[in-house]
Amino acid sequence: MSFEIQKEKIKQICRELLEKGEVDVIIGYTAGEIEGTRIPYIFSKPEEADKLEWDERCTPNLCTYLHGRKDKVGIVAKPCDVRGIVNYLVESQLKKDKVYIIGVDCAGMKDDQGNPSPGCGECSVKQPPLYDMRVENPDVTNEKGAPPEAADPADLMEKLERFQNELQKCILCYSCRQACYGCYCQVCFMDRGVPNWQPATPDLGAKMVYHLGRAMHLSGRCVECGACERTCASGVNIRYLIKEISDFIEKTYGYKTGLDAEDQPVMTTYAFDDKEIGFLGGDADA
Amino acid sequence: MADETVNTNREWEPKIIAFLCNWCSYAGADLAGTGRLQYPPYVRVIRVPCSGRINPIYIIKALTDGADGVMVSGCHPGDCHYLSGNMYARRRFTVLKKLLTTAGIDPDRVHFTWVSASEGGRFADVVREVTEKVMKLGPNRTCEYAENVLGGNRI
Ligand code: SF4
Ligand code: SF4
Repeated sequence: MSFEIQKEKIKQICRELLEKGEVDVIIGYTAGEIEGTRIPYIFSKPEEADKLEWDERCTPNLCTYLHGRKDKVGIVAKPCDVRGIVNYLVESQLKKDKVYIIGVDCAGMKDDQGNPSPGCGECSVKQPPLYDMRVENPDVTNEKGAPPEAADPADLMEKLERFQNELQKCILCYSCRQACYGCYCQVCFMDRGVPNWQPATPDLGAKMVYHLGRAMHLSGRCVECGACERTCASGVNIRYLIKEISDFIEKTYGYKTGLDAEDQPVMTTYAFDDKEIGFLGGDADA
Repeated sequence: MADETVNTNREWEPKIIAFLCNWCSYAGADLAGTGRLQYPPYVRVIRVPCSGRINPIYIIKALTDGADGVMVSGCHPGDCHYLSGNMYARRRFTVLKKLLTTAGIDPDRVHFTWVSASEGGRFADVVREVTEKVMKLGPNRTCEYAENVLGGNRI
């Protein structure tokens, strides 16, 4: 119900922004070719705002489409998209005056079977942390959802089996990298010729290098939007690895990605009394 | 056809890759050598300008390419030749170790420590400790599918 109210409000805001010339283009959602799907929609004429959609199928992370744009963009952003935008600001990938954030309270997205979309079940940021205009939903609070059922096994061998079970399905198509807002490197380390990280055969070792390397690159940057898991055609869930690290970073360094544009990126700063967890003769786990 | 010049019966010896920073740990290893200190001969040293120069992928790649252990050593915090390289490295390694453990790679295969240029004795001790831990784990099989994955079937 409130999705309908929010949708009308979004349409009105976008139309006004374009009419007043405050932004050059708007990035939002529209209906996809397949019944019920929602796809990114980039437009620059006020009347095109009528085709905007907003409901519980608006899963894509639109923040991805912001990177590298030169014009002033208005963006219809769910809280996870906003966290991505904030992290772009933190990493100096974007200037605040180049983006107009229409932050939308999000009650959680659903996949085509009506189950919570990956990442939405355990989401704890449902109100946009930064916005120029907010489209509220009074039913939405920032309460943390239930954690995923499949908890991380304690036994090392089980951990390895879980990891290998996911990797075994992966075909190294790199869709997860393309979908991720945080993977914006011009040349990914896996595509580089020198040094060549990519072994000649896509075996388990190559998949490990890719997924562990990507997880490492996304430490302190993942906004738990679930795009990588949704996009994978083979049903690989590597997000649990990155999630585990995000939780660890939050616990150890008190940093949660994309909440404050004044933050410094956690992995490019340090404190003199940082814990040495896992070092030889270092500190115990926090 | 067995090649008789290749001794296949040799006992397993661990391969340990050591990334040492040029200014402290490499000099510390040098001092251990000039001081004629004995330590296990299984480390292969790679000299890097600074512990902050070590890309975590180096460590991941070493493990997936068959190294049985990796050790990383730099200057003590506060003593870095480039002032803060090892401080950045410290966060990076803390997170990397957490990641590797979550992925099921034994934390005892990867070791981080600080050795200064005057600590030849400490370098020998560290190598001994790391070698002992890696020897206990045996050969690195993280890059082969486990018995229960793919029904033990490997493609
Ligand atoms: S995890 Fe999925 S999307 Fe990512 S490379 Fe593997 S098969 Fe492709
Ligand atoms: S790693 Fe996955 S969940 Fe995290 S930001 Fe990238 S696409 Fe989103």
